[in-house]
Amino acid sequence: MLNKVQAVDSRIENIGWEGKTLRQMLKESDDIFDRTGHYQGLKDLKIRTGQPILYEKIFSHLRGGLVNARSTALNISASPIVKEIGELSFALYTPEGESVALSTGIIVHVHTMADAIKYMIRNNYEQNPGIAPGHVFCNNNSMIGDVHTADVHTLIPIFWENELIGWAGGVTHEIDVGGIQPGSMCYGHADRYGDGLLVSAELVGTNDLFHEDYLQRCRDNVRAEMYWVLDEKTRLTGCQLVREQVYRTIEEVGLDTYKAFIREAVEEGRRTLIGKVKQMGFPGEYEAPTFIDLPWKNDETVHPLARKDTMMHAPLRMKITGDGHLGLSFDGANQWDYHSFNCAPSPMQGAMWVQLTQTLWNSDKINDGAYYATSIELPKGSWCNPDYDKVSTTLTWFFLIPSFTGFVRSLARSYFARGYLEEISASYPCTWNLLQGGGINHFGQPSAFTNFEISCQGTGAAYVKDGEATCAAMWNPEGDMGEVETWEHLEPLLYLGRGRKANTSGAGKYRGGCGAESLRMLFKTESQILFSAGEGHVFSSAGVFGGYPGNSGYRHNVHNSNMKELAANKAPYPTLDGDPENSAISAMVKGDEVFDLNQMTGPHPFGEYDLYASVQRGGPGLGDPLERDPASVAADVNGGELLERFAKPIYGVVLTKGADGRLQADVAATQAERTAMRKRRLERAVDTKDFIARERERVLEGHIHAPVRAMYKSSMKLSPRWAAHFRNFWSLADDFSF
Amino acid sequence: MNQFIMSMDAGGTMTDTFFVDDTGRFVVGKAQTTPADESIGFGRSVEDALAQWGQAPEAVFPKVATGIYSGTSMLNRLLERKGRRLGVIVTAGMEDYFQLERGIQTYLGYSYQDRLKVSTHRHNQPLVPRERMKGVRGRIDLFGTEAIPLYEHEAEAAVAELLDMDVEGIVVNLLFSYVNGAHENAVKEAALKVMQRKGKSVPIYLSSELYPVMQDFARLNTVTIEAYAAEPSRGQFQKIADRAKNFGGQFELRVMASHGGTISTEARELARTLISGPIGGMVGARYLGAELGIGNIVCSDIGGTSFDLGLITGGEFTTKTQPDMARFVLKLPLVDIDSVGAGTGSYVRLDPISKRIEFGPDSAGSRIGMCFEQGGVDTPTLSDCNIILGNLNPNNFLGGEVILNKERSYQAIKERIADPLGLDPYDAAEGVLQLFENHLRNEVYARVFGKGYSPEDYTLFSYGGGGPMHVAGYTKGLNFADVLVPAWAAGFSAFGCACADFEYRLDRTVNVATASPDLAPAAFEQGFDLLSGAVNAGWEGLRAKVKDEFAKSGVEAGQIEYRHCLRVQYVGQLNDVEIELPFQAIRSVDDIREIIERFEAAYSKEFSRSAKSPELGYLVTNVLVRGVVKVMKPALPNFPLHGPEPTADALKEIRPIYRNGKWHDARIFDMDELLPGNVITGPAVIEASSTTFMVPPGAEARLDQHLIFHLRHLED
Repeated sequence: MLNKVQAVDSRIENIGWEGKTLRQMLKESDDIFDRTGHYQGLKDLKIRTGQPILYEKIFSHLRGGLVNARSTALNISASPIVKEIGELSFALYTPEGESVALSTGIIVHVHTMADAIKYMIRNNYEQNPGIAPGHVFCNNNSMIGDVHTADVHTLIPIFWENELIGWAGGVTHEIDVGGIQPGSMCYGHADRYGDGLLVSAELVGTNDLFHEDYLQRCRDNVRAEMYWVLDEKTRLTGCQLVREQVYRTIEEVGLDTYKAFIREAVEEGRRTLIGKVKQMGFPGEYEAPTFIDLPWKNDETVHPLARKDTMMHAPLRMKITGDGHLGLSFDGANQWDYHSFNCAPSPMQGAMWVQLTQTLWNSDKINDGAYYATSIELPKGSWCNPDYDKVSTTLTWFFLIPSFTGFVRSLARSYFARGYLEEISASYPCTWNLLQGGGINHFGQPSAFTNFEISCQGTGAAYVKDGEATCAAMWNPEGDMGEVETWEHLEPLLYLGRGRKANTSGAGKYRGGCGAESLRMLFKTESQILFSAGEGHVFSSAGVFGGYPGNSGYRHNVHNSNMKELAANKAPYPTLDGDPENSAISAMVKGDEVFDLNQMTGPHPFGEYDLYASVQRGGPGLGDPLERDPASVAADVNGGELLERFAKPIYGVVLTKGADGRLQADVAATQAERTAMRKRRLERAVDTKDFIARERERVLEGHIHAPVRAMYKSSMKLSPRWAAHFRNFWSLADDFSF
Repeated sequence: MNQFIMSMDAGGTMTDTFFVDDTGRFVVGKAQTTPADESIGFGRSVEDALAQWGQAPEAVFPKVATGIYSGTSMLNRLLERKGRRLGVIVTAGMEDYFQLERGIQTYLGYSYQDRLKVSTHRHNQPLVPRERMKGVRGRIDLFGTEAIPLYEHEAEAAVAELLDMDVEGIVVNLLFSYVNGAHENAVKEAALKVMQRKGKSVPIYLSSELYPVMQDFARLNTVTIEAYAAEPSRGQFQKIADRAKNFGGQFELRVMASHGGTISTEARELARTLISGPIGGMVGARYLGAELGIGNIVCSDIGGTSFDLGLITGGEFTTKTQPDMARFVLKLPLVDIDSVGAGTGSYVRLDPISKRIEFGPDSAGSRIGMCFEQGGVDTPTLSDCNIILGNLNPNNFLGGEVILNKERSYQAIKERIADPLGLDPYDAAEGVLQLFENHLRNEVYARVFGKGYSPEDYTLFSYGGGGPMHVAGYTKGLNFADVLVPAWAAGFSAFGCACADFEYRLDRTVNVATASPDLAPAAFEQGFDLLSGAVNAGWEGLRAKVKDEFAKSGVEAGQIEYRHCLRVQYVGQLNDVEIELPFQAIRSVDDIREIIERFEAAYSKEFSRSAKSPELGYLVTNVLVRGVVKVMKPALPNFPLHGPEPTADALKEIRPIYRNGKWHDARIFDMDELLPGNVITGPAVIEASSTTFMVPPGAEARLDQHLIFHLRHLED
């Protein structure tokens, strides 16, 4: 144990291997990869091939340590987001910042922490502020490497004697980050200056302890300060457990073997992903653009610079080459803007990586090698690679989540081409409505909250079965919506109900999983600022092979309601909104009703007994709805997942009431209806050439909805290449612009 | 022979009975389980057991002092969804509980790979269909305040509809009923009124009476399972009790429960008898430890599909209060056991792309591996590795009942594992076993270290059919104080059930806070009445309930030993820690200081010094009372010691085993022929009919006077 260095408060010169600086190591690592195409130039994996058992032993040691660190540490957190929803993960890195192994949890951050480590190395932290045993670094700056300010990293260097042999990193999602409005991901402000407490890869502790002045700054700058401080302890404890496991491993196998292993592990990760792409991917280029609406023209709660109706454009293109390279491009994405949904490159890479872990390579053995096997193109100046580093990024997810739905659909097409039918998914739905906010809560304390029911959306339809109701999130496959009694401890909003929402599933031969809704009533609070977030005018996740998208959202709130009188008289009150075209809220409650498609709103004030409907999403569908088993359609209606009046127009299923009072499909009438519908489809169909010609006229004349026109204009301006692609598609003149 | 203890385990296929007399002599009987009427299988198993002693049941049963049931019938009823036809009344708007579940229930028990892969997640089939879920308007908030009054007319309508649907019971679970049960009581009153009117009567299960603990969904699961699967078990228990009575038995049949004690078949909270198998081992280890003067024990149990691990510290195990079983999150006390999804039957494969070795997560289970031709398995398992290395005797599996085919194992390992890795098949098989044992060793270390201890403080017990084969591997290098393998390792769970006290453990949520006496002395003093009032009233109420439960078995109040516990956390945190207090009521500020001191000691042990947060104050979440009545326990065998050298009869053969990259001539012993005092030096294999104990080169095993082996690594 003598050579274990944990907490010596002295600077060590040149902490890299063989007397190098970390900067030298990182540069050499990058250079040799560029030169050889292999991580660290490793053509032969000596331990991996010569001693495969030893290789697995070391891996299992490290991986066991990470999983254990997570399960131990999460008990320290007070936050239900961390403890109950599991928004926490740990990873082990090489000295240069490549992840070697990771725990379970929100592993989207494994790569963003890698970026933060590389930032510190590139900016010569070795000299100032110094990187020494027992040091603790914190980061939540997305421009350095993070998704958004709500995700806070703890990074500690791991030393053996005088050498840095790696890093342990941990991340949690915070309930509040001290933004201009309460909630972990507030928005409506114009730029970075409203984002909240920003810790930019900062030295915040020495001797394995946080600096008290740092903790005090956190307490002074965030709401719900207890959660922040306990989460700091959670992450640090976990990182220390990871470090312990690294020491044990080295004691067992020796330092040289450990060093060789971590490098081989990354190179092996790279090769494995290439192997998976070769095995399951079909070479070619796949296009799957997505959009989301931002209807802020009339929202007075947002900053004047942001007060306009706009659209996000994510023209995702996936390219698989014959030699197993997988590349994504967002060339053609439109410009960043004065809202909080801009996204730094680091989370875009993290999102690609996390989707890989849920699709191509769902293994505990994935690491940053996957990053070396792939590429991602993010146009400078766009929302996904802003050229102004003071942009706000508190809710990066709002653009990021829809932008990757096309990745999963592109993979679905690729799997289809290779015959891997069971692997096919119609993609994920977006994870909202996002309810967050704060104010003086039911304990009389100033507070903030973020409701994580969002981590349980319906899943996309598969090629062989329906999606699953209320199940997972794009960013956390281990989704969970927590318990009502837990959320009501945090939020001064009673649940009047939480249940499935009919018609949220995307229709198809196989339908998406059903979404849910909650109806909330403010109670024991004078006022709260509440946000709602989600798409309202567009669909952000399409279906596949003829399947329909799941639901988009809407806003339905009641201010100054008569709920108190209704309750006193024991008169019926709504428990859910239900069918919005026959809304239970509208039918039962009097007050100032807000009921529209502007689901994305800035911070609005609410008072006691006000109602707030929170509608989650269902998964997208797969295949033509006319091919769906009529009995399944009847079961969906009987089960409350499909409104009866949509059985015929969408599915062509004619329902009749059976002897037991339940609906059943009339097979003959359904057959006839479907034949008629197919005939009507044919009658309505026009030749592609004619369709394009007709639509081209609209493009030429500029008869396009203003936000859409502005979106395309911005895309064309940012990328001449994409502009040429667009002009070519519509056969427009070389000088055409909007 | 004066008195006996009998315990039974009615498993999915076999019913085991275990009899032990007061000298420690024991016998195990087996018969096929008869699910429709378990007492038939029980009777046959008893006859099989006692025939080995040449005794008839009628001769032994009058002398049985204690009889314990454990079994899987309740679990099977739940898994097969063959429970009672129930109706459920919940807070209006929450009728979709079983359709939404919680996301976590769609992947409980999954491997890491499948947890990542959303397309594999699936919801459970509801225990109660949606049409028998009824909502009633009204709301209690978290403070117990009535936010919206209960709509009694809706309650009456709901009950009437459910009765018309011919339900056999009604479960009531309203939000925050654990703080204020008034609305649930009002629903019950409405129900009784309707039942009277309709001339129908079915039992009503109120969550506020049965499980007054926080978390509405987990509580609903628990109360529903109680009514759905547990209640029908009472009939089964009665049949078994009747059969025992017919044999002349005069004892009260008790059931092994998840908190580690036994309870009467008449207990209110029977759902906690859902899972008892792995608990038995922990209870047995605790008892054995107490008899041998060992307070700190790591319990390790390897079966065909899993590796179960639990800790006993200072003679006590810890208890989880929100465990999951059968893909349900529950609010029940469960002895803290971690299950690692790897056992002797786990499959071994190479990833087709990366060629890396993967264990499981699936397992051949009772089909053993490729070596068992009739099993129809087409992937090698860890047992196949053991077979080709000579560790397992292919002619001794289940005492020779099953003959295994070594050649099939060899071919499978060669073709599937060794050749693609460029390894010799024996090296590959040994490597795979080392990886497995290494994995277990990491888990063992993590559990001990995670609790703030080191292995030197603990003695490790190894049992289960597969434990003794791998114990040398997973303890090597960890420097445990001692490593113990009981000769009856394979039957240790049944033995454990016979070691359990008669114990009720009841709890309720109180959620009262206190400030730190050092950081906020005024608030600390001020909060005294609130805290002491809530805790004292809680304990008193629970003591009365415990007394009532014991009264059903004719136990008088004076015989009950009460133990008073609290679950405490820092205010705002979600993880509470259980502590036992040396008093049964809080009488002074010093008592509160005692609570805080005990909590902080336990907390910093379990987590980390740096996580202590006294500035937040302390929250007592739950009050608990354990009522224990000591019962007769199995005597430990105690035989005279012989010399270290085994007799010639004990040596079965010399067999080559492959270890550390070379073949060794290992001595193979018959476990039944070894004598207390014998010392076996590795390489050696000790075979019994139901387990095989590996003593590798560099290790030795000594059999003590209690028929427990002590394994020592000579090189550590």
